[in-house]
Amino acid sequence: MEASPEQLTSLATSDLALSVDTFALGWQSAISRPPKFETTSLDFSGAAPRAISLKVPRVLPRVYSFTFPECPSYFQPAKKKSEPALARAAHEVSGDDAAAEKTATKKPTRIKPPGDIVKLEDRLYYVLQPPLENLMASGEMTFPFEPFPYQFQGIAFLYPRYSAILADEMGLGKTMQAISTIRMLVRSGEIRNCLLVCPKPLVTNWRREFNAWAPEIPLSIVEGDSNKRRWQWTEATAPVTIANYELLMRDRDVLDSGIHFDLVVLDEAQRIKNTGSTTSEIVRSISRTRSWALTGTPIENRPDDLVGIFEFLSPGYLQTGLSAKKMADLVRDHILRRTKDMVLTDMPPKMFRDAELDLTAEQWATYKMAEDEGIINLNNMGEQITIQHVFELVLRLKQICNFDPLTGTSAKLERLEADMEEVAASGKKAIVFSQWTKTIDQMKPGLARFNPLEYHGKIPSAKRDGVLKEFKENKDRHMIIMSYGAGSVGLNLQFCEYVFLFDRWWNPAIEDQAINRAHRIGAKGAVTVTRMLALNTIEERINQVLEHKRELFAAVIDQTGGASSAGLSQGEIFGLFNLRTPKGPIRTAA
Amino acid sequence: MPDAKSRTPAALGFLTVTEHAELGLFGGYLVLNAAGRPLEFHCTSPVKPNRAQEILYGPTLRPYLFGEQIGQTLIAKAKNEVALVCTDLAACLAAREFIERPLLVVFAKESASAAESEFAVGSRFSFGRNEVATAAKFEADQQAVQELSAQLSDGIDLLEPFARIREALEEAQKSVRPAAA
Repeated sequence: MEASPEQLTSLATSDLALSVDTFALGWQSAISRPPKFETTSLDFSGAAPRAISLKVPRVLPRVYSFTFPECPSYFQPAKKKSEPALARAAHEVSGDDAAAEKTATKKPTRIKPPGDIVKLEDRLYYVLQPPLENLMASGEMTFPFEPFPYQFQGIAFLYPRYSAILADEMGLGKTMQAISTIRMLVRSGEIRNCLLVCPKPLVTNWRREFNAWAPEIPLSIVEGDSNKRRWQWTEATAPVTIANYELLMRDRDVLDSGIHFDLVVLDEAQRIKNTGSTTSEIVRSISRTRSWALTGTPIENRPDDLVGIFEFLSPGYLQTGLSAKKMADLVRDHILRRTKDMVLTDMPPKMFRDAELDLTAEQWATYKMAEDEGIINLNNMGEQITIQHVFELVLRLKQICNFDPLTGTSAKLERLEADMEEVAASGKKAIVFSQWTKTIDQMKPGLARFNPLEYHGKIPSAKRDGVLKEFKENKDRHMIIMSYGAGSVGLNLQFCEYVFLFDRWWNPAIEDQAINRAHRIGAKGAVTVTRMLALNTIEERINQVLEHKRELFAAVIDQTGGASSAGLSQGEIFGLFNLRTPKGPIRTAA
Repeated sequence: MPDAKSRTPAALGFLTVTEHAELGLFGGYLVLNAAGRPLEFHCTSPVKPNRAQEILYGPTLRPYLFGEQIGQTLIAKAKNEVALVCTDLAACLAAREFIERPLLVVFAKESASAAESEFAVGSRFSFGRNEVATAAKFEADQQAVQELSAQLSDGIDLLEPFARIREALEEAQKSVRPAAA
């Protein structure tokens, strides 16, 4: 119940002061003491957050630096209208869009350092070089015609190598590739002097090719009497010296007198396959920094032929007796070998025709008599028989296969005359190869109507260029008869569309070289090769050996492995007549 | 006759970065003379961002690594003065902040448009046979570059040297690996 306002007013005005008596109790004093307080602090500011630092490094990466020499004359941009190397493609864009597009799609050829260069700086020097197509087009480097892509690859192969074999098949332009690389090395200052050694008949060819492919590089041809040659060896300042193998022998003392070459190039390097030969000894003794070998036939008889060449390139690198596969592995980085089939897919084909002929009755009678008598004589010799005796019989029989010595009849000549009628009638030209000048003399009368020219060992060197010029330019000269020895290397006869092998050489590589006089770059049409072979004779048996040797070459150089040595060994030569060697049974050639 | 200081140097610089799945980034800088011959080559040890950098830099990580860390460091090492520097990676344009010469990104024909680039690039323009662009902040470089083009060449193949750099970086890595093994 709530109090009314009147009641509340009555209370306020009433006297409430009542008398209070206190008693002395002990606890009353305690009441008068001030109270004691105990305090407790509570912190309401909160805990500070824990800081976690993440390290953001600003350490700069380590830098490896390489600097390269800039040679003053090396492919500097031409002063006239020529553009820097890098500009070449653009130049083509502005000139001919289609051509430029084609160029742009070509894979550029780059120099790759060989495996035996180990220093990183040296390897980078080659890796960082511009594509050869750019280099070639820059500055004052001009060419008679644009090199083929595989030729650029050949240059890129040779350029960084200190020991190399360029083993392209004949006709692919080993000369041009070597010259262009020498030119680049000379102009870059990487080499100051180069010695090129070639067979004597090829000196003029090399001079001509240098004039075409490196016209600005001065040449010194070693020739003349001994005093002149001495001066040329010691005083000539031209960066390129050309000498022939024969002169090296005569000038050996001069070469041994401290002359050094930055590069020595051996053309037709198969000449030094025999390490015991004087030629091999002399070239190996030349003081040099780089060594290159050019040969279309690095293996002529057996894989050990390569050992001889490598004794010049890198002494001790190869040993005789290695298996074909092992040798292929070792030489892979040092040899570049291309065939026309591999690189010139648009080159006219090379067609082989084996003219398997029956000897004339007269030839056959003579042949049988000679063979029978010869074998009887050889058998009668017993232990006295030597390889020379067998050789003599082989050569005699081969000559009978060419011409009957009694009557002069020849199944091969008959066939050759018939074929030449067609060749001459169509205005074409042919090369005929034989290994004997005597055979060449015998065939001349029957071929007189084709105005044959001759090119062999009996033709003086001074007249040989004239013979070739006459053959090339005179429309009435339909054929040239050559010996394998004189005509198988270094000659450019690509205007010929027919090659006749009147007799077969012992070595398929020599035959290939002969054929490739005609079947090479610039060949206008298909080259027809007619290999004449007398059936059921020694020629047929030799042919089987030659086929086996071709397989050998493929095994090592084409690196498919597997084949064993297949040189024309003593056993094989004896086997041609099913004879026994003095020391026991022999293996037949086939 | 212009004095030596005002002459435009004939050398060109080429900067790129390759990425190795395990080792990280390798930078390469190649200086060529006007004939395309190498004068200098510089390369870095591998650069690998840590997790913190990946988080903190976010989308700017690559320009930071390519331009500031690698590009700037490499270009600073060169002894030859160059007329301009080219790169084939837009992220390297970040290095322009730290160098005095123009820096161009060179586009391959089939490359993405500038708008899709990982670094802000300016508008494209033709330089010889190539399409190029400057960094967006340095579009004034275009004028300088076009003046240079008359002195160097109308149409330089600016993409070709990058193949050389990549091969050289591979070669350098190959030479280090056997030694490290």
